[in-house]
Amino acid sequence: MKFIASDRIDGLLERLGERGPVWAPREPEGAAGTVLFAPWRPGDAVELDRFTTLSAKKLVLPASEKLLSFSYSLTPEGEALDITGADQGRGDTVLFGARVCDARAFTVLDALLALPPGESYQDPGYRSRRRNLLVITLACTAGDAACFCSSWKEGTASTQGSDLMLYPAGEGYLARSVSPRGEELLALDIWEDSDLEPPELAVTDRVPFEALEAKLVGSLFSDLDFWRELTAKCVSCGYCTYTCPTCYCFDMYDEMSSSRDGERCRSWDACMFYLYTLETSGHNPRPTIAHRYRNRIGHKFSYYPANQGPVLCTGCGRCIRGCPVGLDIRDVLRAAGER
Amino acid sequence: MSTIPRQGKKALEPLRPEKATVVDVIRETHNIKSLRVVFDDEELMTSFTFQPGQVGQLGVMGAGESTFAIASPPSQREYIQFSVMKTGVVTTAIHELAVGDRVTVRAPMGNHFPVDRWQGKNVLVIGGGIGMAPLRSLFLHMMDHREEYGHLQLIYGARTPSDICYRDDCRDWKQCGDVDFITTIDTGNQDWEGRVGLVPAVLEEEEPSPENNIAVTCGPPVMIKFVLESLGKMGFRDEQIYTTLERRMKCGIGLCGRCNVGPRYVCTDGPVFSLKELGELPDEM
Ligand SMILES: Cc1cc2nc3c(=O)[nH]c(=O)nc-3n(C[C@H](O)[C@H](O)[C@H](O)COP(=O)(O)OP(=O)(O)OC[C@H]3O[C@@H](n4cnc5c(N)ncnc54)[C@H](O)[C@@H]3O)c2cc1C
Ligand code: SF4
Ligand code: SF4
Ligand code: FES
Repeated sequence: MKFIASDRIDGLLERLGERGPVWAPREPEGAAGTVLFAPWRPGDAVELDRFTTLSAKKLVLPASEKLLSFSYSLTPEGEALDITGADQGRGDTVLFGARVCDARAFTVLDALLALPPGESYQDPGYRSRRRNLLVITLACTAGDAACFCSSWKEGTASTQGSDLMLYPAGEGYLARSVSPRGEELLALDIWEDSDLEPPELAVTDRVPFEALEAKLVGSLFSDLDFWRELTAKCVSCGYCTYTCPTCYCFDMYDEMSSSRDGERCRSWDACMFYLYTLETSGHNPRPTIAHRYRNRIGHKFSYYPANQGPVLCTGCGRCIRGCPVGLDIRDVLRAAGER
Repeated sequence: MSTIPRQGKKALEPLRPEKATVVDVIRETHNIKSLRVVFDDEELMTSFTFQPGQVGQLGVMGAGESTFAIASPPSQREYIQFSVMKTGVVTTAIHELAVGDRVTVRAPMGNHFPVDRWQGKNVLVIGGGIGMAPLRSLFLHMMDHREEYGHLQLIYGARTPSDICYRDDCRDWKQCGDVDFITTIDTGNQDWEGRVGLVPAVLEEEEPSPENNIAVTCGPPVMIKFVLESLGKMGFRDEQIYTTLERRMKCGIGLCGRCNVGPRYVCTDGPVFSLKELGELPDEM
């Protein structure tokens, strides 16, 4: 197998940088203790041992994005309106040091946002960013207490969504390409040959959820008390949705930059917010946290699998690590399974 | 289920609206205006087709866009009509529009009343308030194809005489003799010649037979609730009854996530549902 020593990772990143911007897990300045996917520049330290607090979803779904610009003008014939689409043309972006759950999240989102023309609506922004994203994934030899990716068949061995896999071995990483673009990367002259053995991969928590798809639209849906009890401590802050690599809901709004010009934008939204579904009449079909959490779990473990195929969760554990009141999605899934 | 094109330009850039111009503004009531708009792209205007019940996103760049039923019938090729009740930011901006102003439209979207399957049947249409918008499109469409349907009855309720929309249409429907048209208001005054009473009560007085009949109802949630009860009492089965659902919407194409009722998205699987289909959905109204 190909191999790269830890002290040559910077060199690899520099070579990757020739293809486009490189994003890697880093401890950004002023945010000591927090690891985030951030743009990497030569000289920046990369943090490959700890997990990132936020997911890499912003590389395909930016937190805010311009969809259109518009401008009004006065002509002899009256008022004119110009609308121009956002520029989708861009080169490659390299994501280095994603984890298996991060890479797999892209394929989960692809099932809705990047189907071939004719099968679904196109999300042009998502599609072009996704098509141009190179994903280099670091396999996990250890999870933490919040990880539960082993609930999925391939667990930590999954290569879905990745172009190149890195496996910790000796004083560096073994590399295996899992896509034609990964193959191109392996052709760089930066790799050594090695006869090191790939490591034993981590086994993380397992939460059974297969039976939930039917229950979540049936008996569990009508059992609002169940959701009330389980979400009693939730404060509806929306952190779990923003940090999640597979939550994709968005809001659309217009912003004026002058009295005549402006942009139509979209931003991440959160189904945990009261305003998300509030109707103009004042009626809200999901008025309480219990209703909204039920929808969050229902969407992830029933509606999305029924409509799109994959479960809308990869077991990355971010919502568990970061929830301010310690609400653990696994407790909810287990309780739901037993109900 | 959905009939929105998933091919071509619209499928590739589904969030990009078409430019259109307001050609007529009709004040219907103190808070409802009908706007007639025409696509700036003539070719698009000529090729534009839809089915009754489908909706569009009408927008004012700078304020945003919102979902409205297409209120004109498919046979109307001169313009597309929306009837808009003033409630918030976008609808207020729409109410400020005048003839010649520039708007945006994304249409048609969503599914439609299954009118092909209703051929040869009697159709009973029950509307209230702004819920008449999609029903106007439907009723005018059925009148355009009058020979394809049996008995056509329309019960239209409003709070007071001044809350009645589509006055010209109402006059036509009353006079044409070919359809059974009833208007009713909640509280009457001396000048009012129509019926007085809540829609469900008028419906029960009429007692239409469920035999070979389809019932379609749109309107305020309370009205729908009691109309459905009355229809049930009169023997209408769930698969004979159709209504439309409303949800807060943004994208209109099943991506932004907010309009679902359980696993179904009102924007792409709806807004038209039979009561039977609604019964199969989780109860999240
Ligand atoms: C399928 C369908 C068909 C429809 N057909 C019609 C039709 O034919 N005619 C018609 O008139 N209407 C129709 N509607 C309803 C119409 O879409 C709404 O009335 C419209 O979207 C309101 O938009 P708005 O911008 O004016 O309201 P907004 O200003 O967006 O406000 C909507 C509501 O959201 C809340 N809200 C929004 N932002 C905030 C905030 N920052 N803080 C607090 N609260 C907030 C408020 O409670 C407000 O009342 C239809 C809806 C659907 C789903
Ligand atoms: S992060 Fe925790 S408290 Fe916040 S919305 Fe999610 S579950 Fe509720
Ligand atoms: S729901 Fe939680 S564990 Fe699942 S992918 Fe989202 S953040 Fe990760
Ligand atoms: S309106 Fe966006 S999903 Fe239906």
